[in-house]
Amino acid sequence: MVDLEKLKNVARETVSRDDVKYLIGWRQGTYGFRVSPHFVKEPDEAEKLIFSPLCTNNLATYLVLTERLPLLRGEQPDSRKVALMVKGCDSRAVVQQLIEQGINRESVFIIGCPCEGVIDLKKVEEKFSNQPGPVQARWSNGKIVFHLPDGDKEVPKGEVLAAKCLSCRYPNPVITDLMLWEEVQTRGSDEYEDVKELEAKSPQERWLFWEDKFSSCIRCYSCRNVCPMCYCEDCVLDRLNPAWVFRSNNISENTAFQLARAFHLAGRCIECGECERVCPVGIPLTKLNRKLAKEVKEKYEYIPGLDPESKPLQSSYRPDDKEDFIL
Amino acid sequence: MNNKPKVGVYVCHCGINIAKTVDVNAVTEFASHLPNVKVARNYSYMCSDPGQLLIREDIKNEGLNRVVVASCSPRMHELTFRKTLAEAGLNPYYLEMANIREQCSWVHEDRERATGKAKKLVAAAVSKVRLLEPLQEKEVEVEPATLIIGGGIAGIQAALDIANAGFKVYLVEKTPSIGGRMSQLDKTLPTLDCSACILTPKMVDVASHPNIELFTYSQVEDVSGFVGNFQVKVRRKARYVDMDKCTGCGACAQECRLSGRIPSEFDVGMGKRGAIYLPFPQAVPAKYTIDAQRCLFLTRGKCGKSPKCIDACAAGAINFEQKDEMIEFKVGAIIVATGFDVFDASRKPEYGYNDYVNVITSLELERLVSASGPTGGNVVIGTGEEAFVPKEIAFIKCVGSRDKSVGNEYCSRVCCMYTAKLAHLVEEKIPGANVRVYYMDVRAFGKGFEEFYDRVRREGIRYIRGNPSEIFKRGDKLVIKVENTLTSTPMEDEVDLVVLAVGLEPRKDAREIIDLLRLSQSADRFFLEAHPKLAPVDTATDGVFLAGCAQGPKDIPDTVAQAKGAASSALVLLSSGRVKVQAQISFINEATCRGCGFCVEICPYGAIELVTVNRMGHQVSVARVNEALCKGCGACAAGCLSGSSQQKSFMDRQILPQIAVLGVMK
Repeated sequence: MVDLEKLKNVARETVSRDDVKYLIGWRQGTYGFRVSPHFVKEPDEAEKLIFSPLCTNNLATYLVLTERLPLLRGEQPDSRKVALMVKGCDSRAVVQQLIEQGINRESVFIIGCPCEGVIDLKKVEEKFSNQPGPVQARWSNGKIVFHLPDGDKEVPKGEVLAAKCLSCRYPNPVITDLMLWEEVQTRGSDEYEDVKELEAKSPQERWLFWEDKFSSCIRCYSCRNVCPMCYCEDCVLDRLNPAWVFRSNNISENTAFQLARAFHLAGRCIECGECERVCPVGIPLTKLNRKLAKEVKEKYEYIPGLDPESKPLQSSYRPDDKEDFIL
Repeated sequence: MNNKPKVGVYVCHCGINIAKTVDVNAVTEFASHLPNVKVARNYSYMCSDPGQLLIREDIKNEGLNRVVVASCSPRMHELTFRKTLAEAGLNPYYLEMANIREQCSWVHEDRERATGKAKKLVAAAVSKVRLLEPLQEKEVEVEPATLIIGGGIAGIQAALDIANAGFKVYLVEKTPSIGGRMSQLDKTLPTLDCSACILTPKMVDVASHPNIELFTYSQVEDVSGFVGNFQVKVRRKARYVDMDKCTGCGACAQECRLSGRIPSEFDVGMGKRGAIYLPFPQAVPAKYTIDAQRCLFLTRGKCGKSPKCIDACAAGAINFEQKDEMIEFKVGAIIVATGFDVFDASRKPEYGYNDYVNVITSLELERLVSASGPTGGNVVIGTGEEAFVPKEIAFIKCVGSRDKSVGNEYCSRVCCMYTAKLAHLVEEKIPGANVRVYYMDVRAFGKGFEEFYDRVRREGIRYIRGNPSEIFKRGDKLVIKVENTLTSTPMEDEVDLVVLAVGLEPRKDAREIIDLLRLSQSADRFFLEAHPKLAPVDTATDGVFLAGCAQGPKDIPDTVAQAKGAASSALVLLSSGRVKVQAQISFINEATCRGCGFCVEICPYGAIELVTVNRMGHQVSVARVNEALCKGCGACAAGCLSGSSQQKSFMDRQILPQIAVLGVMK
């Protein structure tokens, strides 16, 4: 069970350590059901930390987004650890970053928060619209309780949980330095029903589906920027020579952008769903990513983000890899 | 020099190979109007001397600085035309080939549309050639030494040839003695001279040659570096016998408490040895070895009051304190002569190899007929009171060869003839023996082979065409169930002894060598040569050559011939002293590289490593290409997410415009 006092105590102890730069956790946002990342540098800032069904954000992104400012001559880079609070899905992003050598194991201190599922903000806001003040929430006996101004409201999980949580295979962090509370039960398996539904359609129907979605893309790059796996020094999709994708906003360039993004995540995406969550025009990006995840799983029996010692998909060639799907 | 591209386009007729299907005049006319094209010509054979002269003259007179040849596959003539450019004083990498033969005229019939496609291919090549950059071919020095892995006849022959040419050889053999499979054989075919008699002198030569350093009971642990400069690490396993002191007298082996109790590998388990042993009498080096897995003292820490071998050894050579030794050295070339495994007959359960003592393999029979074998050359089956001399003897060929059910589609090439040889020997050794051979085909392709096969048949050995389906016991006889496919008669044949002519398989530990040297396997799982016809001893890894059965089943003459070929290939490298490395290699943009290491893992040649660099005060790791190792395959460029890995002459910004031309034009 979530133990907020323990969480805060651990956070205070952690940021007091000499070898820790800061801790990244969640805090209540300024309105509605919003949650913000909370960067704790001093022990007394830990008081604001929360862990609740609202903590959807995958904080692993901040590990690789840290800006490395130029150092003065003789100045040493700050090599202290970053402490990070992770849910099950977030932890897989950390593992994948380790596999890809995006971060060092010594540079992070991972605090695991076994998770009973987080909300889909859209579903909740639809249910309880117009909440100008911050609303807290907690898990309670398989339901989610919202502390609304007019009293607590209990909602069955199925009605408000994010889609990724309904088929979650990894609710418990797969890598931690410290687990905050006992692990939760794993819920069932993932059969990729959402992907199969799309696959059952004809190519023409599928094209119409995606054409509609991609034509509404405004190329804000939020999906890329929030993704914990997108952290190249210099993204190929930003380059002008050669220009893989032109900047004009039209169906052709948008499609090229989205497909390149999805393919660059094949065998790497850990399905945290952040891209879809932040998309301002509601493109179901998870479907695209999960289609590739399904292919990778079926064709190469590979699941990313589980074993930090494993090799990345692109470089784990086996002589008996299937190739019957190569034209 | 003005760097503005001035392109010359040369369209080849290739006799009528291209001109029949493609309107070469129309393509030339079209090409002359493409941007930056100064000259466009066509000629009957561009690769001919006058054809090349045309290009050289234009470079000189028209000031061309880029050349497009629209002809055949670059695999065919890219090198030819690169040379042409170089002779005219132009960087050879300012060349682009448009393949309008294999990719156009040969595969199309519609002249009009084929011409249209040829135009597109030429336009694409022109758009790319304008963006090409000059490349320099680098040379590296060659370490004048060779590593040979495997001390069978292939390794021995290659070692002797290279050593006799005056170069250093390091010969590494896994077992305690060199000699390999050939030393296990009794007679060689078709001349029937004794295997040991022709092999032993060569083994002795190896041991005494001043240019050969022999490491027996040793294994190659690591190979790094590249052609001309391989760094090799060899583990010399502890023999627990001081090689310098051991005189090979054998007193220790007689005294060993386990003497005669451990199955001998050399006699395929039929003879017995002790824990301290010499694999066979002619072993080189003639030094004893203690089997650490079996020795009582080494496994249990106790062997009576004290190990008897220590007391028996007058030279005081036994040393239980000995440790594995690591030896490092540099070589310029490597020859892989690791040989083969014999097919495991128990994988064909219908032949009852595991069930009946009188079903044996050909290698076992080979040891039985050998004078130095466990029975002193008498064909006796079974032991003790049950021992008997078989009279009715059947050979079954193609056991584990040409058999998809066990995954071996290939012919093992040696079984037909060794079966004929063994049948002959058995008939000679057992008076009144009645020998027959069940076969699918008889492949007597070598020199003197057909004559030998003919001789054996005239000696009374019957050849019956049929692939037995089953062997079972009836009384004290074995029954072979088979259909004679020449007469379509199902039959049962009662015999005393069945000899399975087992095929050759890739070694079970082949994977180690593959990982060590980054070799490839062909579909039959043997090591893959660089080209089946024109580079049969080379591999995709420069400086690594193949000899003997490691590359595919072959008999002794072929093995020796290939070993000499591999030796000569290695010598070409060693004696020239310098080696050119690929120019169209990969390079990493270290400013954008994020150091994920995908390319490091992907690279089949181990050419990329992660290094730490200073990026504005921060220590970050980035990939770096070893230019001498890179083969320019481009796998790293394909795997790089940030496009930081690029291949020279095939950079994204060079090939994307080329693709654009192909896509946009009608």
